[in-house]
Amino acid sequence: MGIISVENSDRLFWLGRYSERVYTSARLFADSFDKMIDMDLENYEVFCAQLDIPNIYCSKEDFCRRYIHDENDPNSIYSNLMRAYDNAVVLRNEIGSEPIAYIQLCVYAMKRNRTASAPIVGLQKIVDNILAFWGIVDDMIENENIRNIIKTGKRIERLDLYGRLQADRESINREIHRLAGRIAKTNLHYDEDKLDKLRGLAEQDPIDYDEIVALADTLRKD
Amino acid sequence: MKDFELTRQSETVNELLARYGVKFGIYKNHEFKEQLFPFDTIPRVIEKEEFAYLEKGLKQRVMALNCFIKDIYGEKKIIKDKVVPEEFVYISSGYLAACDGVVPPKGVYTHIAGIDLVQGKNKEWYVLEDNLRVPSGASYPMIAREICRRSSPDTFESNCIEDNRYYTKLLRWMMDYVNTGGHTVILTPGRYNAAYFEHSYFAEKTGAHLATGSELTVEDDYLYFVDYSGRKEKVGAVYRRISDEYLDPMTFNEESVIGIPNIYDVYRKGHVALINAPGNGVADDKGIYYFVPKMISYYLGEDAILQNAPTYLPFYEEDRKYVLEHFDELVLKDVAEAGGYGVVFANKMTAQEKEDFLNLLQKEPRRFIAQEVIDFMDIDILEDGVRKPRKADLRAFVLMADEPMVWKSGLTRFSRNPDSFIVNSSQGGGFKDTWVLSR
Repeated sequence: MGIISVENSDRLFWLGRYSERVYTSARLFADSFDKMIDMDLENYEVFCAQLDIPNIYCSKEDFCRRYIHDENDPNSIYSNLMRAYDNAVVLRNEIGSEPIAYIQLCVYAMKRNRTASAPIVGLQKIVDNILAFWGIVDDMIENENIRNIIKTGKRIERLDLYGRLQADRESINREIHRLAGRIAKTNLHYDEDKLDKLRGLAEQDPIDYDEIVALADTLRKD
Repeated sequence: MKDFELTRQSETVNELLARYGVKFGIYKNHEFKEQLFPFDTIPRVIEKEEFAYLEKGLKQRVMALNCFIKDIYGEKKIIKDKVVPEEFVYISSGYLAACDGVVPPKGVYTHIAGIDLVQGKNKEWYVLEDNLRVPSGASYPMIAREICRRSSPDTFESNCIEDNRYYTKLLRWMMDYVNTGGHTVILTPGRYNAAYFEHSYFAEKTGAHLATGSELTVEDDYLYFVDYSGRKEKVGAVYRRISDEYLDPMTFNEESVIGIPNIYDVYRKGHVALINAPGNGVADDKGIYYFVPKMISYYLGEDAILQNAPTYLPFYEEDRKYVLEHFDELVLKDVAEAGGYGVVFANKMTAQEKEDFLNLLQKEPRRFIAQEVIDFMDIDILEDGVRKPRKADLRAFVLMADEPMVWKSGLTRFSRNPDSFIVNSSQGGGFKDTWVLSR
C-alpha cells in the first residue's frame, strides 16, 4: 500500500543493522575461534577489545559458549539475532513471510547449535540464512523504499563495525560511498553535514576511527 | 480417502510450519511465550452434501444474528415481543449502551463469524458457540493447506478437495465492500497478542496495512494513518483485532493504551467501518446462545437448520429445577469466560466443589448455562506414528457482505489429552486442516 509508519521504518532500519551485526560478528568469531584452537588461546581478549565489548569471559571455553549463546549477554550473537528476529516478526506485512522465514531459520539453527561440539559449523548455517535473507530482500520485496531502509541500516552497521575494527582506508571509503548512495534513496531524516564529515574523515591520515563510529551512529535523525 | 502419503510427511509439514513461524502466544506465570501450534496431518473430511447442509444452516444462523444485533441497537422489537427477555440483553457484558442507535456501514455487524460446532456420534452437527467479536483461527488451516500441498502433491491430485486458500480474497472483498473510502487497516494490539501471527499473515495476504493504535490518529472526524515522513492517509475500514473495551479510551475503557482515541466517533458518523461492529458481544453471550433458534424463527420465519446443544438456563425456574435434578449429567459454563475457561463437567467435581458450585448457581443463576454433554465423534490423530482417537470441534467461518459467505474449510481443533473435551490451543490443543470434498 506504499505507506510506512514511523514504527515500521524504525523496525526496518534496525532489522538491517542487527542482521548485519549477526552476520559480521559470526564471521569475525569464526576467525578468532580458529586462532584459539592451537595458536592464540586468549585471542578472545583481542576480539573483545576490537569490537569494544566488555571482556566478561573467564576462559576461551567460556567465551566460545557465552559469546554465541548467552541470552543474558547483550553482546552475544544470540542476543543480536533475537533483536533482528523481534524486528522481523512484526514486519510480515511489509516484507513478507518468505524473508522472515530466513531469520526464523537462523533462530532455530542457533538453538540447535547450543549442544554442538563444533560451533562454527552451526554458525555457518546462520551466516548462510542471513545471506539468503538479504538475497530474498532484493528479489521479493517490491517496495523500493522498504529495501532501501533495510539496506541503510545494514550499511550503517557495517561502517560502525569497520570503524571499530579499524579497517583499511579502501574499505572505509567504500562503505561511506555505499551508505551515502543508499540513505539518499530513502525518506529517512539524516544529517547531511555528518555525511560530509564522514567523507572527509576517510581522507585524513591517520583515520579517526572513533569519530567515524560516532558519526555513523548518529547520522540518522529520529 | 488416500491421506497416507500426507501423514507420512508429518515431520516435513511441521518443519515448514515452524519455518514460517506458525505460532500462537501464551502467557504462563506472567511471561509471554510463543509456541508452535501442533498440526496433525490427518484431516477432518466433510462430504460435499454434508457441507452444503452446514453451509445453509450457517448462513441462516449468521443472518439471524446480524438481524438480532441490528434490532437490539435499533428498534428492540424482539424484546418488546418478549421473544428474548430484556434481562438477558441489558446485563450481558457484551451489550454496549454506546452502540445504541448506531448503524454500521452497509448495515453489516457480523462481518466475520466463527461458529463452533461438534458432530455427535449420531452424525448430527450441534452448534456449541457463536463467536462474533474477534474470532480467530482461519489463518492456520490456510497456511497448513499451502504447506501440505507442497509436501504431498499426490494427496491433492488424487482427492477432490475444495481449495481453501481463497479465504483472504473473501476477507479482502468483504473489507472493501464496507470500506467508506480510504485504506484498509488491520488493527493489532501488537506482537504479544496470542493471535499476532494471524494478524500479520492476513495483512500480508490481503494487502491491508497492519497497524497498532499509535499509528492511527483521528482528525476532524476522520481516521488517518500517519507514515514516517508525516504524510496522512485516510482509512476507510479497520479490521480490528482488539476487543470492544480497548478500542477507544474516550468511549470505552479509559485506561486502554492500545486503542485509538475518538475512533468510535468517526465510526458513529459513518466515516469508517469497524470489522466486526462494536457491541456484537451481546449476541455471542453464552446466555443469548439459547435464544438463537428463536431468533431464526422470529427474524427469518424459518426453523433453525443447525441445532444448539441442548441447553438450560438456570435463570428460569423450570430449567434450574432440571439442572439440579440432572446435575451430574451436565456441563456448566460461565457465560463471562472464553477460551475453554469456566467450563466444568459436573461429574468430575468433588463433593465440596459440587456444594460450592450449587450455592453459586443459586446466587447467580444468570451467570451460568448448563448443557447436556454431547458425546461427540472422535477423530484420529497421529501420536508417535500411531492413530489415536481424540475429541475435536470445528470452527466454521462465515463472512458477511451483501450476503453471508461460508468458507469451504474451517479450523478443526483437537484435544491432545485422551480424557479431555477441551480443544483450545491455549490449553494444549492442536489443529487439523478441514477438507471439504468438491464431489
